[in-house]
Amino acid sequence: MVKANYMPTSLPEALGLMAEEELIPYAGGTDLMVSEAPGRDFLFLERIPELTQISQDDQYLHIGAAVTFRNILASDLTPALLREAAASIAAPAIRNTATLGGNIANASPKGDGALICWAADAQLVLAAASGQRTVDIADFYQGRGTTIRRADELLVEILLPKRWLAGASFCKVGARKALAISRVSFAGLFAAESGQIAHLAVALGAVADTVVRRPKIDAMLIGKTFSEAKAALPDYLQAWQAAIQPIRGRVSAEYRKLVCLNLIEDFLVERLSSAHNG
Amino acid sequence: MKTQLTLKLNGKTVNWEGDSSRKLLDVLRDDLGQVDVKCGCREGECGACSVLIDGLLVNSCMFAVGAVDGREVTTIEGYRDTDRFRALDKAFADVSAVQCGYCIPGMVLAAEALLAANPRPTDAEVRAAISGNLCRCTGYNAIVEAIVEASEEGEGLW
Ligand SMILES: Cc1cc2nc3c(=O)[nH]c(=O)nc-3n(C[C@H](O)[C@H](O)[C@H](O)COP(=O)(O)OP(=O)(O)OC[C@H]3O[C@@H](n4cnc5c(N)ncnc54)[C@H](O)[C@@H]3O)c2cc1C
Ligand code: FES
Ligand code: FES
Repeated sequence: MVKANYMPTSLPEALGLMAEEELIPYAGGTDLMVSEAPGRDFLFLERIPELTQISQDDQYLHIGAAVTFRNILASDLTPALLREAAASIAAPAIRNTATLGGNIANASPKGDGALICWAADAQLVLAAASGQRTVDIADFYQGRGTTIRRADELLVEILLPKRWLAGASFCKVGARKALAISRVSFAGLFAAESGQIAHLAVALGAVADTVVRRPKIDAMLIGKTFSEAKAALPDYLQAWQAAIQPIRGRVSAEYRKLVCLNLIEDFLVERLSSAHNG
Repeated sequence: MKTQLTLKLNGKTVNWEGDSSRKLLDVLRDDLGQVDVKCGCREGECGACSVLIDGLLVNSCMFAVGAVDGREVTTIEGYRDTDRFRALDKAFADVSAVQCGYCIPGMVLAAEALLAANPRPTDAEVRAAISGNLCRCTGYNAIVEAIVEASEEGEGLW
């Protein structure tokens, strides 16, 4: 029997198909096609306009789940932090098809786009034929490779809060520049208002089963003046030291942890010495 | 269950039936006889399998055939009949940028994708554009030189 190719041209059509059958959403395929498994039923997302656009409102940047890294780099709306992470991903041919939604839905702790979304406290819009819900990115993951997405749902868009994105930093420690999947990656948001730390968010990639983000630790420094924050820095780093439980991999767990702690420290020392004018 | 799809391959309309989750690379080589598309790593790391899909550079090993439904695929064989190819071919020969040749179809298509978007690239831009294409023989300098030369000599083609 011959069937049609599943290549819907609208979101309702896609969700209708997802409700009827168990289909695998296919965005850029750059994670899916690593596997040699034949006979998979893919639902191709690239022609769904609702999933392939970037827009903004006062509070959020709205990034369609199937926007490619190529188009993220090409958009004027893309903040520097996300631009830097997107540019660090693989090589042009991969960025031409790989998407931010795929990076998030793949649920690898090494995703560079996902890391930025964690640091920025992004929200994810999931939709099914029966309705849609919006979840915090931190609640989306259940562990490595697993998410709360139901089989009939699609990730539709990523809401990136714009407020704190300006003073952000991204760093990826890898083996080789092109194509290097992160060994350890770091994203940090820092903002000062009237001499006090108004916002701080640290996210660490490739170090545990999911990206690591600990708002409670960051809260230790929020609201503090710079001199208070400098005094509290050892305690803050100590809290991170206890929070990081690195996975074993090709790179030793202790090395990963040390690199993470150094990246956090460098980031804060640099911001606290330079941002008096905040 | 089989899926039916239609694509344009090097200018010709092709109707194809099969498992839409197969790698485009395998369908091109095994079903459609397009052995000018090379297979290196099957993991998106080497660029030997590069093709252009609607003008964009893509690794065909990281692309399901179902996703080319209704689109245009260009391999080096289709690209050969263009003046742009002849400019690149001459430049690669002039500076002896080809040794074993295995990476070259991918390199040439990566060069085309670059030059179509940026007709006068710097060395650094050329290096970035071919950063997903591995070459085990040349050490890259000659390839970069060839692409820059083609962009100069081929003035007006891109
Ligand atoms: C050579 C190479 C180098 C790479 N380098 C990097 C790198 O440097 N940094 C990095 O972060 N990643 C890297 N990757 C991994 C990969 O490219 C990224 O994770 C990419 O963002 C995945 O996006 P995609 O659209 O290709 O996902 P796909 O392969 O299409 O999908 C990935 C997963 O997400 C699901 N999915 C996709 N879209 C949706 C949706 N809208 N709703 C629900 N589920 C969905 C799919 O079903 C699948 O499970 C690399 C991959 C390769 C092959
Ligand atoms: S064979 Fe496709 S990138 Fe190596
Ligand atoms: S010429 Fe041999 S791999 Fe490039």
